[in-house]
Amino acid sequence: MRAAIRRLFGIALTLIAVSVGMFWASASYARRPSNQQRSPFAAFPVFFNPHPIGVRDLSSNALRSIARGGRPAVAAQIELARLGGAALPYVLPALDTLDPHSRERVALALTPVAVRMEVASPEELADGAQAVLFWTRFWQDRAIDFRAASVRHLTSRLAERSIALRREDLIHVDTFALPALIDALGQVDTVDDVARIQRLNSVLAHITELPVPCPPGASIADARKIVELWWDFWQLHGTEYSALDGPRRLAASFVETQYGKWLAAVLRGGLGRTQSGERALDLVLQGLATTSFLLFVGLGGGFPLGVAWTRFERRSHRFATRVASAVAGTALAAIPCATFVRASAGPNAGLLSAIALVTITTAAWVSRHLARSTMSQSVSPIAAAFSVSAPLGATYPPFVLSAIVLVELIFQLPGLGRTAALSLASGDVNAWMAASLSLASASLLLRHAADLIRPRAISSQIRGLR
Amino acid sequence: MNEPLSPKLRLALAAVGAALLVVLATALAPLSPGLQAYARGLAFAVLAGLSIMAVAFLVALPLGALAASGPRVIDWALRFACDLVGSLPTVFVAAVFWAGTSSTSSFVCALGVLRGLEQAWLLRCEIVRLEAEDPESVPRGLGRTPLVAFLRRRLSAALGPLFVSASFSVAWLMALDAAVTQAGLRPPNALSTWGPLLGAPHPSPLPALLAAGSVVFLTVALHALFRPPSAA
Repeated sequence: MRAAIRRLFGIALTLIAVSVGMFWASASYARRPSNQQRSPFAAFPVFFNPHPIGVRDLSSNALRSIARGGRPAVAAQIELARLGGAALPYVLPALDTLDPHSRERVALALTPVAVRMEVASPEELADGAQAVLFWTRFWQDRAIDFRAASVRHLTSRLAERSIALRREDLIHVDTFALPALIDALGQVDTVDDVARIQRLNSVLAHITELPVPCPPGASIADARKIVELWWDFWQLHGTEYSALDGPRRLAASFVETQYGKWLAAVLRGGLGRTQSGERALDLVLQGLATTSFLLFVGLGGGFPLGVAWTRFERRSHRFATRVASAVAGTALAAIPCATFVRASAGPNAGLLSAIALVTITTAAWVSRHLARSTMSQSVSPIAAAFSVSAPLGATYPPFVLSAIVLVELIFQLPGLGRTAALSLASGDVNAWMAASLSLASASLLLRHAADLIRPRAISSQIRGLR
Repeated sequence: MNEPLSPKLRLALAAVGAALLVVLATALAPLSPGLQAYARGLAFAVLAGLSIMAVAFLVALPLGALAASGPRVIDWALRFACDLVGSLPTVFVAAVFWAGTSSTSSFVCALGVLRGLEQAWLLRCEIVRLEAEDPESVPRGLGRTPLVAFLRRRLSAALGPLFVSASFSVAWLMALDAAVTQAGLRPPNALSTWGPLLGAPHPSPLPALLAAGSVVFLTVALHALFRPPSAA
């Protein structure tokens, strides 16, 4: 039992390390100058973010730039308008610390926010002094509304039932309500859920000014797509609307990275979504059948064939036969034979040719290793196959998986290897990670299975010796 | 006829075969652009294959021997490194190395290290297996095998699988090259190799057939070259 737990723990630890390695590989590959498509998370650090930026930092920076004036203030005004209500708890209390001109500039920069919040018209805030007065009074009256608990309460009430007043209350706090609204989206399983998504989407689209329509006749699938869209938005921009204080800042150092974003998408279910909008899990399930079929048929046919081959070679008394067998084995184990066959087979040769290639390559590879391993011994090839299963198990998976990738690419089979290769080339991180992690899991299982079938007598002797 | 060829004769035959291949490639190169690509790829295949083998041996021999009979932490580290590297089809690791390394020599060295880790594990397993199956064949003093005895008897007996693996180095490299090309992961400014001949459609099949045949020839030659005298 302890051994099983230790083995499972080892597999899990290796898979985590492999996922880190593969993510690094994907990020390194995506950084090539010739790469056309970039991940939406490419701006984040890969594994560690030493300076995660939240709404407090962004709004303070924007406030300072606007207060100073000049050309950078234009970009800062746009940024402040985008941050909206989430920035108000940091901007409005800081107005008193500015000189009168800077204060007016900042108050005027907040005009688009006031209009979006439907608390004032542009005409009311045309003058700097008026704008300062308006925002000072606004904060005196409404500061109490900018509390997470009250916004969460408002959101849950809107999610339960549609009343125009509840919608207005949420619009009045603008982007400050985003975390609660995104949380309230939840699962979509019934028609009632679709109605809830419609109500929440209406507020979300208004406060973010993003064109995400949810028409009255939307289906459950449509509503799910909308939820996915908002989650994607939140994954990308969530921290820009959230305060990073205390433990949240510490967590953000790991979460606000490319790897953290991928992990969050995986934990949401479905292994994230590919660039084409498909669930990465579905992509894996589509490719799994072809790859596992190739793997198991190749393994099931190739291994016994390799053992029989070695047996034949060892029992043959003619030197010429043995040399011919060794040459043929070596030649067939050279994976480019797959491409050699391609010249005559063409791209549509199909699954049968692919299976034949993987089986023959496996058999030749196994026979070469067994021939060399059993040369100086009197044990049978079958016994030798078991006794050398651990080293063969360690080197066979990368060999056969590379062969499968090559064969899938050449014969255009919809397997995991081809999916992984094409997604790495196109910079589709979620598809790459899903396909390559599946291949890594298969490889690890093969290695551990090979280790398990190793004869226990030898295993215990080895343990004793070590 | 039943006697195997001596190592010197095998080495000489391999050298003559390689020389013939180079002469053939040089003679054919001016005939067409495809054959020119074949000739250029041959130089890369031979040089890179030999470099990979050399680096792999440099990594595998000390690491494998230490993992088998040295401190346990080395064994654990090698197992973990092999688990990590072996969990991925090598073609993807090669694609990332190729995209990430600045020069072809560093790419080849990186592949050599990768190959070396795999071969170190093979060597470690073979040594441990031989020790378990035949513990009395090597003299032990104070619970330890003397270094000279270890190198002369145990290590030399355990090199078989390592040589088998090494003989596939050229084939391994070309397979990676072809797969990386086929997947569209080949860097645009990469050296001229057999990858595009083997992994991408070509108007004339002759260069591809020549390249595939040469890979097979080189692999068989290496396999024969590394065959120990005791082998039948």
